[in-house]
Amino acid sequence: MMLDALRQQLTHLQKPAGLAEGPVMLPLGVTAVDDALGGGVLRGALHEIAAAGEAHLPAATGFTLGLAALATSNKHLVWIAEDMALTESGVPYGAGLKAFGLSPERFVIVAVAHRHELMAAMEEALRCRAVGAVLGEVRDGALDAVAVRRLSLAAGDSGALAFLLRAQPPHDASTAATRWTVQTAPSVIPGQREFGGPRFAVHLTRNRRGPSASWILEWRNPDDGFVLAAHAEPVAAPLRHRSHQKVA
Amino acid sequence: MLSLWLPRFATDRIRRLREATQEGLPLVVAGKRGNADVLIAIDDAAEQLGLSAGMALAQARAMHPALDVVPEDAHADDELLEAIADWCLRYTPLVACDAPDGLLLDISGCAHLYGGERELVADLGRRLTQAGFAYRLAIAGTIGAAWAAAHDGRPDAYANGEERDLLAPLPLGALRLPPPVVASLGRVGLKTIGDIIDLPRSPLTARFGGELLRQLDRALGREHEPLTPRLPVAPYVAEKRFHEPIAREEDVLGTVEKLAARLATALERRGDGARRIELTLFRTDGALRRIAAGTARPLRDAADMRALFAERLATLADELDPGFGFDMARLSVLIAEPAPAEQIGMGSANDAGEMVRLIDRLSARLGAQRVRCAVAQDSHIPEIAAITLPAQMTVKDDGWAAYNRHRSAVELAPRPLRLLSRPEPVEAIAEVPDGPPLRFKWRRALHDIVAAEGPERIEGAWWQEENIEASPAGNRARDYFRVEDKSGHRFWLFRAGLYRDLVPGGTPPSWFVHGMFG
Repeated sequence: MMLDALRQQLTHLQKPAGLAEGPVMLPLGVTAVDDALGGGVLRGALHEIAAAGEAHLPAATGFTLGLAALATSNKHLVWIAEDMALTESGVPYGAGLKAFGLSPERFVIVAVAHRHELMAAMEEALRCRAVGAVLGEVRDGALDAVAVRRLSLAAGDSGALAFLLRAQPPHDASTAATRWTVQTAPSVIPGQREFGGPRFAVHLTRNRRGPSASWILEWRNPDDGFVLAAHAEPVAAPLRHRSHQKVA
Repeated sequence: MLSLWLPRFATDRIRRLREATQEGLPLVVAGKRGNADVLIAIDDAAEQLGLSAGMALAQARAMHPALDVVPEDAHADDELLEAIADWCLRYTPLVACDAPDGLLLDISGCAHLYGGERELVADLGRRLTQAGFAYRLAIAGTIGAAWAAAHDGRPDAYANGEERDLLAPLPLGALRLPPPVVASLGRVGLKTIGDIIDLPRSPLTARFGGELLRQLDRALGREHEPLTPRLPVAPYVAEKRFHEPIAREEDVLGTVEKLAARLATALERRGDGARRIELTLFRTDGALRRIAAGTARPLRDAADMRALFAERLATLADELDPGFGFDMARLSVLIAEPAPAEQIGMGSANDAGEMVRLIDRLSARLGAQRVRCAVAQDSHIPEIAAITLPAQMTVKDDGWAAYNRHRSAVELAPRPLRLLSRPEPVEAIAEVPDGPPLRFKWRRALHDIVAAEGPERIEGAWWQEENIEASPAGNRARDYFRVEDKSGHRFWLFRAGLYRDLVPGGTPPSWFVHGMFG
């Protein structure tokens, strides 16, 4: 209890400039996940979400948008993607965004030709006060560490959520606050032929404020958000508890 | 009205490209007219030898074997004339090409910027001479009079009302008449404009056609002759000349801001805002740089305009190429729109305004086509129903309000999160012809389907024949299925064509994947 209170205090002391108003953490509503994250998704920080492989990219997209919806109830979402990503993996479909609680009216998609343009455009978008979340989609290859660091700082200044959506699990080091790997999970209960909500097997592989872990989450609807899928087994054992990283 | 004639245009162009070689030889330009090779243009030396334009090349060669003959290049001539016209924009925005070798400039209201008509003419002449062009120019109240004076009369500046005295002694060709008309007038002894100026009008028209008197009336100012400028005239223009050429980007941006402040005042007076702004930079050597930037909403703020051009300049830093510097800059609002007063205070904490600025900045840097908004369209065909449009183009009503009403009234199957820009064909096996597929192969991966929802029948746009070519799935009716495979990947598949419509020999129905669910 005592430790938790201290942790909360510390979080508030370390608030970046952009978090002066509004909550610091955006809770997902899933207790297990929120506890591991220290209260929820950290605003004003960069979060990296990678698909476990090319085929899992739609699932990773869905999970990212579910998180982005936490911050864009009355703000804009800017989605910046390389041309190649849009051609290969499909363009965001306005009518489908609504299922994840995003309003297509407050959605801007930017196509860029080069990686450095993507980073610059993300930084520019993060500095805009009308933007609640910025999503940058990159296909593969390493990222410029300096540019990523700049993104973290820009997010801290504005309080917006910054996401990097990657088609492959990255191998590089990162300054992101959290790093996730997302796999798609069957929504159909074996033996039945009925659809459930979209399910994601998410692995929190890097967490600056707590342990890493894995869950299977289900996206119900824009009102209920994520729920912990009860019946499924975790696809991988939770990683070693890293107590030395627990304090932010 | 200023008429500029470059009497040695074609030969001057060739001389400019050459170093001072083949000095002594008279230069002529020859080309085909009908079936004969004739001289198109000649230089001074050739004229002194007694040659003239229109003479057969063989005849000229027979008279003077030592001729430097260059084939005609009408395209290069046109291009150079356009370039000179661009360069003349420094004097007035109203410049028209007077092909093949002249320009018309409307300098009314512009001459004072140079200290008067004489100073303007002196400046223009000096620069043309430096560039190596022979020129004749005249200023008069009408296009016709200025043209006549430049080509056939005494080049000078004539005041309004002097047209009659100016024109009377000139030959009829100076009226820009077709040569046959001039020739037939000559046959009845009418040689100069003065000969016809007071003749009864109806016999003249009856015999020589309406064109004759119309040109006369236009030259005399009895009838208005409009100038058709090469470029659309901007509604708002601000410009600045520099005594010392500027080259640095900061200086250019500083100038932009100063000009923008002047534009802002003018825009505000009329309640307008700029939707498209163009910066024209005049290089000392006569080259021109045009940089345009669009805005998502009518814009009036000078600092915002500067920010817009800062983005544009950043993208073309290498191409700006100031050479020896720019000696003049002009900022024009190409498209202006009425702007309600409340949109102007964008400095206030106004989220919509912030978003508009972000869209403008990104569009300026990446291109307007790359920054897009999702809009809802009134169509039942999925790839048309929700498309993206350039964010700067979209209007307030992007159709989502209507779409939401429609969705709440009609229970529609869910839509995918990502849509492939073109449906991709897949190999699929279905249990029953009209049912969902059992498994399908897409991008070399096999997917076993464990659950499927559907079909949702979407009829093709049978009233649009051209759609058949536009989409690989053609214009056939589609049955959409939402399917999930063993590992949980969710796809939006459809079968184009119905088995019940299948005619012998027709295209059998085929399967496509169109999108992915999250």
